[in-house]
Amino acid sequence: MIDPGVSTHILIIDDEESILDGCKQALEKSGYPVTTSSDGLAGIKLARDLKPGVVFVDLKMPNCSGMDIIEIISREMPDIVLIVITGYASIVSAVEAMKKGAYDYLPKPFTPDQLRAVTKRGIEHRLLKVEAERLREEKARMERNFITFVSHEMRSPLVTIQQYIESLKLISEGSLKPDAMQIIHRCEKRIQNLQDLIEHWLDISRIENGTFSEAKVTLNLTELIMRSLEEMNPLCQRREIFLESRLKDNLPVIMGDQESLLRVFSNIIGNATKYTPPGGTITVCSDCDDYYVYVSVSDSGQGIPQDKLPFIFEPFFRVHGKQERQKGSGLGLTFSKKIMDAHNATIEAASKEGEGTTFTMKFPRVYDL
Amino acid sequence: MDTKKKILLIDDDKDFLMATKLILEKGGYEVFLAEDGRSGVEMAKSVNPNLAIIDMMMETWSEGFNVVSKLRTSDSGKQIPLIMLSAVDLQGPYQSFEPPEDLPTVDLVLHKPIKADDLLKNVGMLLRE
Repeated sequence: MIDPGVSTHILIIDDEESILDGCKQALEKSGYPVTTSSDGLAGIKLARDLKPGVVFVDLKMPNCSGMDIIEIISREMPDIVLIVITGYASIVSAVEAMKKGAYDYLPKPFTPDQLRAVTKRGIEHRLLKVEAERLREEKARMERNFITFVSHEMRSPLVTIQQYIESLKLISEGSLKPDAMQIIHRCEKRIQNLQDLIEHWLDISRIENGTFSEAKVTLNLTELIMRSLEEMNPLCQRREIFLESRLKDNLPVIMGDQESLLRVFSNIIGNATKYTPPGGTITVCSDCDDYYVYVSVSDSGQGIPQDKLPFIFEPFFRVHGKQERQKGSGLGLTFSKKIMDAHNATIEAASKEGEGTTFTMKFPRVYDL
Repeated sequence: MDTKKKILLIDDDKDFLMATKLILEKGGYEVFLAEDGRSGVEMAKSVNPNLAIIDMMMETWSEGFNVVSKLRTSDSGKQIPLIMLSAVDLQGPYQSFEPPEDLPTVDLVLHKPIKADDLLKNVGMLLRE
């Protein structure tokens, strides 16, 4: 099978006219279009113009080094399959030529069958190369479009279900019993969870394929911490959890993306609220030394068993198994870890069962050089 | 005599149309549905709605804008309030959406899903009720 997009044109560059003639005859007999050149520079020019699939180059020519031809063609036209023609005495140079980008070599003297076999292999190699490149591009394109597609296709049905619930609540106003209303509220809650899951998953996919836009600027983390405290405070109040902070004055700046770090802080605090009983406390602290800025979030919750600690940043890992499934997307910590990685920062958890858990985030300081 | 105000709803999601229609009817409006941009523009000519609600993403990512510019240049759509619906937050940091140049103007953009009271409040406001 020969792809119409792949050239089967063969170019032969050799100073011996008899070799050129012999090769041309042998290959044309097999149906390949063949062009020959007895001069190196003219050969390179022909390669540029004809864009052949395969080029044979004799390494030993009087006025021109075959090695240079190999180098120029392989640098300029990497798609062309280069095959070296060489005498027995110069196998070493054939190896060198292959290091410079030649695909194969044909030792002199050779028979027409050997020539055809090498040519066939070269053309097949070229086909595979072109196909592999096409697949790579296709894959990259699909990955980019996939996220866009998924975000639309997954959100749409959820949005529609939410809209139905809105209309159901409105048209049934007053006519539904409290237990039926309760069911509707549970549905709303679970749909919201599913939506959060999709958002988190999309964020992680975007980080992994590099389409997550981050604008790193010089940041004062104190401001960000204050913003996330403000954001999380209503939730803590609803759950009767005290949210307090001990922030260091004049915290040095770091480089970071404001929005994604804000989400990391809110994620970690939000996570703490899920495992802290009413009446408990969540404390956010900041500190620094000569090299790092530290932000920690401690809770007075049930804690995480030592043997589970190493896995908490894994996607969908649940410390307490299935019963936790309703608590969140299962991707919040994974997302946070990836964002921290992208900042050359670390996040670690320490915990004592029954006493609580502390997440510590460590950001490298930036100095004016 | 029937004095209900007429609202035209254009969205390619049938269920979303139904759900939103129920809310608007409960609010006392007569609702007309169109499942794509072209039939929406046609329907605007025949029913002369008092307000139209258009989804941004239909056959294409920006089909809604095409519909809006067609309505804005037609007799039936020139004067009426238009609401654009969108399912994504276009202002968000993660969207690579680039709106077409010469963006036709709408009176309001609402994000899906829309709370029933938000929808009715906004529609009522735009219709000066």
